[in-house]
Amino acid sequence: MSQIKKDCTSFQELILSLQKFWSDHGCVILQPLDMEVGAGTFHPATFLRAIGPEVWNSAYVQPCRRPADGRYGDNPNRLQHYYQFQVILKPSPSNIQQLYLDSLKMLGIDTTIHDIRFVEDNWESPSLGAWGLGWEVWLNGMEITQFTYFQQVGGLECFPVAGEITYGLERIAMHLQGVDNVYDLVWTSGDEGVVTYGDVFHQNEVEMSAYNYEEADIDFMRETFNQLESDCRRLVNKGLPLPGYEMVIKASHAFNLLDARHAISVTERQRYILRIRTLAKSVAEAYFNSRSALGFPLASKEMADRAIRRIGGKSNG
Amino acid sequence: MADFLVEIGTEELPPKALMNLANAFHDHVANGFKNNTFGFSKTKVFATPRRIAILLENLDKQAPSKEITIWGPPTKIAFDAAGEPTAAGIAFAKKNSIPIESLSEMVGNNQGKEKLFSKSKKPGLKVEDLAENLIREAISALPIPKKMRWGSNAFEFIRPLQWVLILFGNKIINSQIMGLKASNITYGHRFHSKNQIIVDEPREYESCLREANVIACFSERRELISSAIKKIAKKVCGIAIVDASLLDEVTALNEWPVALLGSFDREFLEVPTEALISSMAEHQKYFHLTNTDGELLPLFITISNIESKDSSQIIRGNERVIRPRLSDAAFFYNTDKKTTLEKRRESLKSIIFQEQLGTIYEKTDRLSALAEYIAPIVNADISLSVRAAQLCKSDLVTDMVGEFESLQGIMGKYYATNDGEKPEVAEAIQEHYLPKFSKDAIPKTAIGITLAICDRLDTLVGIFGIGQQPSGSKDPFALRRSSLGLLRIIIEHNINLNLYEVLKKAATGHQQLQTDDDQICMQVLTYVKERFRAWYEEEGIPTEVFLSVSARNLNNPLDIHRRVYAVHTFTRFPEAVTLAAANKRVSNILAKNPLKDMSAPINKDLLCEPSELALTKIVENLEKKIQPLLQEQSYTSVLKLLSGLAIPIDNFFDDVMVVTDDDETRINRLVLLHKLRALFLQVADISLLVPER
Repeated sequence: MSQIKKDCTSFQELILSLQKFWSDHGCVILQPLDMEVGAGTFHPATFLRAIGPEVWNSAYVQPCRRPADGRYGDNPNRLQHYYQFQVILKPSPSNIQQLYLDSLKMLGIDTTIHDIRFVEDNWESPSLGAWGLGWEVWLNGMEITQFTYFQQVGGLECFPVAGEITYGLERIAMHLQGVDNVYDLVWTSGDEGVVTYGDVFHQNEVEMSAYNYEEADIDFMRETFNQLESDCRRLVNKGLPLPGYEMVIKASHAFNLLDARHAISVTERQRYILRIRTLAKSVAEAYFNSRSALGFPLASKEMADRAIRRIGGKSNG
Repeated sequence: MADFLVEIGTEELPPKALMNLANAFHDHVANGFKNNTFGFSKTKVFATPRRIAILLENLDKQAPSKEITIWGPPTKIAFDAAGEPTAAGIAFAKKNSIPIESLSEMVGNNQGKEKLFSKSKKPGLKVEDLAENLIREAISALPIPKKMRWGSNAFEFIRPLQWVLILFGNKIINSQIMGLKASNITYGHRFHSKNQIIVDEPREYESCLREANVIACFSERRELISSAIKKIAKKVCGIAIVDASLLDEVTALNEWPVALLGSFDREFLEVPTEALISSMAEHQKYFHLTNTDGELLPLFITISNIESKDSSQIIRGNERVIRPRLSDAAFFYNTDKKTTLEKRRESLKSIIFQEQLGTIYEKTDRLSALAEYIAPIVNADISLSVRAAQLCKSDLVTDMVGEFESLQGIMGKYYATNDGEKPEVAEAIQEHYLPKFSKDAIPKTAIGITLAICDRLDTLVGIFGIGQQPSGSKDPFALRRSSLGLLRIIIEHNINLNLYEVLKKAATGHQQLQTDDDQICMQVLTYVKERFRAWYEEEGIPTEVFLSVSARNLNNPLDIHRRVYAVHTFTRFPEAVTLAAANKRVSNILAKNPLKDMSAPINKDLLCEPSELALTKIVENLEKKIQPLLQEQSYTSVLKLLSGLAIPIDNFFDDVMVVTDDDETRINRLVLLHKLRALFLQVADISLLVPER
């Protein structure tokens, strides 16, 4: 049983505690992806590693950008930039729910006081060609975590299945600190006094909302999207799925900005999503093939052989 | 005999599927035992978020043995000419342990051939022979909406399986279910109960779990929640509004329900009540309260799944969640009000109704045109109906309806009122979605009725027109429901309309359809009229009553309905059986002896028998009498009058030979029978009431 730390309630201690917890459980602790993403799922450590037979356990914090959620720093709960803590366990262990609950206890959430619930919530990302089944986890009625068993990623069946745990860090911190406004969260308290979430990010929310809603250059974003799309195709054709995937991430963010600028009609929107999905699928397949060519180094021999047989079977059939 | 228990332990199950799964599981296992001739007394189903289980009490240990006959070689082969057994005969005797000397007694007839036979008793299956396979089959036959895999397993289920308990008496049934070995171990509440629980006897299962803070019985939990809600409401002098489907959902999310009362800021009460309720119910699964005048109170009841050491912390947490939710609702409402529905209608041009049927904007255009035609039939104001038709879908592009789809129409009414539209128009916008489900209210105002009819006609014709009509259990556009809704509106408001004609009118709005209009309208007409079947079944009206009316191929639903009720009443008259039989007899006679001239008058000079004369008189008299009654659709009165024919018809058939050799007399009598039959046919084909032999 992990011991409860005295002060893991500051925002940064929360992140450090989760990293320590999952590190102790054998996860590869990674740093955030240095690109704009809408969710921790976009990190190659989740999206790409969920593909194929290889074993993969990893955890990392990921800043997320959702341009259309900006509220110019006025809304106590909505942010266009916020943090997720992402855990990916593949294959999903049979005690994955218990591990998660242990992590909450470690953070100081008393499960004999609070009402914790796994409420059905099925996840689908049309632009990533991905879906999974699972729950949102409720803490006294507040959604604090997304819990998903990936079934398909980039149009490919997941086998083995990866379990994804996505903690909403701000919400958990607000609960731990008993705070109603995200900007009042204590980021850390040092010798110079308290530094709040607002001190760190409020100005950013105000200015980035202005950029997302008013200033982002629509024509440039459209051109960027087109350029990224053709770059992605070229890279995948050259057997470079990893750089190809970076193009997908960037294209997706360009799309999100166009959406926030209300520059996309309903029908056009569908088409954009389809274009991203096509890219994501081609990257997923190319990545699978590149790992296969390496003999799936992180998979057991049995699982690797099985996966290779499956593709063999497919191309013969 | 012993009790049988099977429990499937899982990670949290989807609440809306839970009871379906549990019942299907129960039915499959119970029927499996029954079909294998096992007896048992009572069964019980258990369902919580983390388990489904069933208990069969006093299940036979073994099914009764069965006597089976094994047929052997024909006697010709089994015995030689001298009657001695041959090698084949001896082999059969040996194989079935029949003494050679009694072999000649074991001869019987099988499919027309003399053959040797042997009788033996096949012992019945034992529970342990059947249980594992039965449970496996039951699991794979579950109606799982979306299956998943987990870990490195190849099998699929609704959520990952955690444990399997199978007990018969105090014995574990040795089984392997989806990679797990069955045991007698179960688990209690996630947070109240730490350890494994060993179940010694199936009948102790429920109490074992209760001790471990799990109420396994779904209906008991539902009752508990419902009464806890009412108790809290009473304490604050409010009335709790308990929606049945929300109650079911909440029951499926709890193993140990504890009701708690929370509150929110009074200022939110300025937001339309429905929006606040949706916000609480859909997102948070809260129950709301009203005062005795039906006004919303700034309170909510949440059902937690724990007996908390400090429930005030749970309440505070929930209050912290509902505040931003309600602020969102208030924000949506205030932003939405800034744009009129008329202006928003433009945005409907980019929203697809159905790919081949164009945008929602185009639909509102079609509805406006159709409303002009339907409004006079319903006695509604034409120009206001058209106005309502134009605006009725505009709220689909408001933020509020974007967030809460169930508020479509309701928000439209609020926003229309805010825009200064006429109250009738605002009301109609809300009403045109009614009825939303089978027992829902129907529109009350004339314009609402007009619009509700138009909307359903347009959708029916359009979807049938592109070949997407319901087939089997697939009904993606819920046409079954809209058809029934259409019928309810027409009948409950006593609207006389020719359904075929109005469908034709609706079809003129859909110019892009490829199939021929007449054909589509006939298809829709048949489909909608078919909905009556289920309707009357539910009302306990026998199918043949409906068939007797539908044989008339009528297009006016109200007229059909009145006839069906009249015939149904008629079937309870003492004369009904005689008259139905007589109608059938007449119909048979007429079919065998077709008349050339149906409208020929009866030649009175040819009527020689008194009963023939009497019948003619009554028929002619009734012909005149029923005309005005038919006009006002008083079919029961018509049938009451026609009941007077029972005795004269009986007398007629007793005394008179219809099919005589004399041509003139025969034709004259057939004409009489034809007229008689026509009297009844003006209401329904009564001959169809005669039960099939």
